[in-house]
Amino acid sequence: MTAENVTAADPDTTVRAPVPSERRGPSSSAPRMLWGLVVLVAVSALALTTDGFVSVANARAILSSVSFTGILAVGTVVIMLSGNLFSLSIGTSAAVSSMLFLYLLPDVGFVLAVLLTLVAGYATFALQGAIVGRLDGNAIIVTIGAGALQVGAVTWLLPGSVQVPDGVDIGFLTRSVLGLPFPLYVFLAVALLVQCWLHYSATGRQVELVGENKAAARAAGLPTGKLVTVAFAVAGLCTAITGILLAGFNQNANLAVSGTFTFDAIAAAIVGGSSVIGGRGSAARAVLGAVIIATIANMLLLRGFGTGVRVLVEGIVVVLVVVAAQRRKRSIA
Amino acid sequence: MTTRPGMARLARRSRRGGLPYVLLVVMLLVFVVLPVVAGQQVTSFNYYNLFQVFASLGLLSVALGLTMIAGEFDLSVLGTYAFAGLVAVKLGADDPVVGLLAALVLAALIGALQGALVAWFRLPSAAVSLGVYIALLGLTATISDSKTVPYNNLNVSDVLDRQYLEIFSLRSIIAILAVAAIAVTMTYTRFGRDVRAIGSDRRASLRIGVRVDSILVVLFVLSALLSALGGSMLALSLAAATPDPGFDPLIFALTAVLLGGVSLRGGTGTVLGIAAGILTLSLLRELLTVLATPTYVSSLATGGLLLVVAFAAAPGLNAWWLSMRRPTKRVAEPPSLSRVG
Repeated sequence: MTAENVTAADPDTTVRAPVPSERRGPSSSAPRMLWGLVVLVAVSALALTTDGFVSVANARAILSSVSFTGILAVGTVVIMLSGNLFSLSIGTSAAVSSMLFLYLLPDVGFVLAVLLTLVAGYATFALQGAIVGRLDGNAIIVTIGAGALQVGAVTWLLPGSVQVPDGVDIGFLTRSVLGLPFPLYVFLAVALLVQCWLHYSATGRQVELVGENKAAARAAGLPTGKLVTVAFAVAGLCTAITGILLAGFNQNANLAVSGTFTFDAIAAAIVGGSSVIGGRGSAARAVLGAVIIATIANMLLLRGFGTGVRVLVEGIVVVLVVVAAQRRKRSIA
Repeated sequence: MTTRPGMARLARRSRRGGLPYVLLVVMLLVFVVLPVVAGQQVTSFNYYNLFQVFASLGLLSVALGLTMIAGEFDLSVLGTYAFAGLVAVKLGADDPVVGLLAALVLAALIGALQGALVAWFRLPSAAVSLGVYIALLGLTATISDSKTVPYNNLNVSDVLDRQYLEIFSLRSIIAILAVAAIAVTMTYTRFGRDVRAIGSDRRASLRIGVRVDSILVVLFVLSALLSALGGSMLALSLAAATPDPGFDPLIFALTAVLLGGVSLRGGTGTVLGIAAGILTLSLLRELLTVLATPTYVSSLATGGLLLVVAFAAAPGLNAWWLSMRRPTKRVAEPPSLSRVG
């Protein structure tokens, strides 16, 4: 019986085994850094030639817009690291969290509303993670389906648009602290926490291992299903936090709040240099990616381009980065 | 001894292959019976609608299913679907045929580019196609200024949607012919066999001399052409092009493809099965319309159905079920030393 088990698990392991060693090879990191440098120089060159880009006010504008995308990008990176691509409803979930938070606010008070929104985000994503991790469901399909369900549930149960209730002040969620917007601090705190979690906790490191090589992780006895569930749950927490901050920022919430957040977050996560198929990535890279995406967006805005052009550029950048990150894997097939 | 498990596997496989058609028949029965019970009327117009959906979302589903059979996941068909509609309406202002052809040519180029990237660089197609999808969405938003673009030649709509034999239209006939052509190609030609081979085992296909790269490029072009045909005909028939259709068309296509028996791991599924999946799902949608359910119900139903289908199609479900029934025999349990000894 044991022999059967070994042969059943083996082909996958032997087939996948060479990939990480090649990816981690000493020769592969130098060109990648060079590539990163090229992008950085190109973006800065374009940015510096844009009128009005170099100013304190504009730097502040970039920093305040980077937070929402950034927190979602951190969540996206955690999902990517677990080897499950990305959530295609993370923007929708952020909008749903935002609505839920404002809906709960007048009845239960601020602290409880925050907690309940976090729990809801955690649970929603953990459920998706369980389907993906334990049953090998496809992450893209599961997250799209879950997104449609959330839209349906919210349309059914909540009013179309939720306002900040009278007599409640959540203005501090957007107020400047020491000259910088409050969401920025939350973003950096979340990134730092997730970075530490991924790097220093056993669970975090195991999540990375699952994404690196699921078959090997399973063979080593790691609870892969549970780890993927946890990875999604962490992304859910990030999403709920973004939703709460968005509620403070917009002073109301509806489904349209989601805007282009899903794509912004995925683009930021990929542009930061985290691998889409897992094995490489960190919260710090998500911060870098979010700053790059926010800078590109800001630059296009200053040059008078609309949202469409920004999304177009994001898409092209995603394709380019994916091509650049994988080009040495031609030999594997 | 060896034949019996083999026969069982064969029986199971054929049963799985037949499931899409069984579902279609069941859904058809429900569609005929339920409205009568609820006191509603089903007319030939409802069946006409069925095939109209086939001509738009159906083509998108086949486009998505084709690459899935080869083990790829092409999200960009949704972008091509919207982009083609916009191109057809913008460039077809004088002559709809010009618009249609322009949309098809541009889509083919996008498909070729994407197929080349996926094939030559061995890129994960979900990531590349997401990038292409985002870029196309940005492009449509830029061209249309994020507004619905009207099409002033209403005659085109008349010609495309005029009823033939009560339940067909020129549009649905074109779609059915296109899908039939693809089905014949996939079933009876070497190309079709190669696509399935690539989907079930890419390494083995390479070893035995299947030209994986060129087949992938052709497949992505075909897929882009189909979704562009669906999107452009829809825009011309509605006399309006929407820059961002959201995920709804993709949800339909994914559900239809999975209902049609296509596996996410590639290698299985037929175009005919996908067609059955499309009709089943269209029947469900039409049923919801006939019964006049509120929109959130159909949103819950489509999202829920996609999750249920994804759940049922999840490779781990079988293993999980087995481990539940026989807790001592874990399917993917790591070999432990104590047991070997």
